[in-house]
Amino acid sequence: MKRISKLLLLVPALAALTLSAPAVSEVAKPQVPPAVKGEQCVEDTDDMRRNHMDYLQHHRDEALREGIRTKQHSLNECIECHVAPETEAQTASAEQGGHFCMNCHAYAGVRIDCFQCHATKPKQTALFHPLVTPGMKALKDVHQPDTGALLNQFASAHASKQTGGVQ
Amino acid sequence: MSEQKQTDLARREFIGHSAKLAAGLTIAPGVVLFGIAEARPADEAASSKNRWGILIDSSKCATGCDKCVTACQQENGWGSNELKSRPEQQAQWIRKVELKHIATGKTHSLPVMCQHCENPPCVDVCPTNASMKRADGVVLVDRHRCIGCRYCMMACPYKARSFVHESLENQELHMPRGKGCVESCTMCVHRIDAGRLPACVESCPEGAITFGDLKDPNSDISKALAKYDTTAIREDLGLNPGVRYRGI
Repeated sequence: MKRISKLLLLVPALAALTLSAPAVSEVAKPQVPPAVKGEQCVEDTDDMRRNHMDYLQHHRDEALREGIRTKQHSLNECIECHVAPETEAQTASAEQGGHFCMNCHAYAGVRIDCFQCHATKPKQTALFHPLVTPGMKALKDVHQPDTGALLNQFASAHASKQTGGVQ
Repeated sequence: MSEQKQTDLARREFIGHSAKLAAGLTIAPGVVLFGIAEARPADEAASSKNRWGILIDSSKCATGCDKCVTACQQENGWGSNELKSRPEQQAQWIRKVELKHIATGKTHSLPVMCQHCENPPCVDVCPTNASMKRADGVVLVDRHRCIGCRYCMMACPYKARSFVHESLENQELHMPRGKGCVESCTMCVHRIDAGRLPACVESCPEGAITFGDLKDPNSDISKALAKYDTTAIREDLGLNPGVRYRGI
């Protein structure tokens, strides 16, 4: 009988311990900066949390070895959306600890080495993206290839003549 | 008579330009697709129906000019990034080589980079399949698999590959590179896939570098190859490089 009462006493004590465990934990939850652009990730958030590594690994082999360069699971697109470009005030470089990927990896104890090679933040080269307007390029003073500009001059001259078709 | 010929030439050149324009599609300033047929959709794999190649006209290539090298450095982010490496360790994806014929004294200047062989020795020796040839003939290093053994650097007869000896930062978004991996010219594969010309081709002020599809008989490069005498460096090795030279 004594034993049983002791056991009964232990139950709430254990429950209290397990319940209070998160509060006692000394490791702070990772700070996850909000996405810079866009509202919706390429997959559901839960799915991405669990499976993003598989998506990325699958994509990297396809992109590099086969040349399939879709955007949906591209690491560059993650960086584009989740990390502020270096020109902006809230620069989030890997070293400063404000990085979307790094913060969570540090918390989860994951030592993955994407960023020994891959860029940690969007860069000037991203401005070659077709959706970037010439005005934005001018603002950021990006070097533009000569030939492209030259060909475009030809193109506009050609368009103004409205000749059309192969001559 | 000769004047007539001159105008004819000018006219031909103009027609050439117009044809190029009609074939090329301008998306935004600085972004020109070199041909609708060649800009493959993003979800389509590189195909063995194409083989990308480069023809370098060494008679047009000026001694002392290294614009192609600078453009490559700027595009792919090598050269200024490796501060701790000794000069002989630093990356060289493309280099200018000066040649002099011993008997005649005739000099040539030409850029040499990965020759994108059809039978690449670097791929043969790689123990991890990191050194690879894409379906469209572009020879690449898969850094995800590269263990840095440098067999491929030994195997390459063109000394085209470099090894990164130090930790790097601020890489280009489209060109990841880091310590412990071998790297080389990628023929600007990220540009090819987007329908753009490689950086060296675009930068040459003399137009000495022609890029195109060796399997398309109507491409500029195929026409030039059919018309002129061209050579591959170390043709005796039977590697059938995708980079060929005219005038050496």
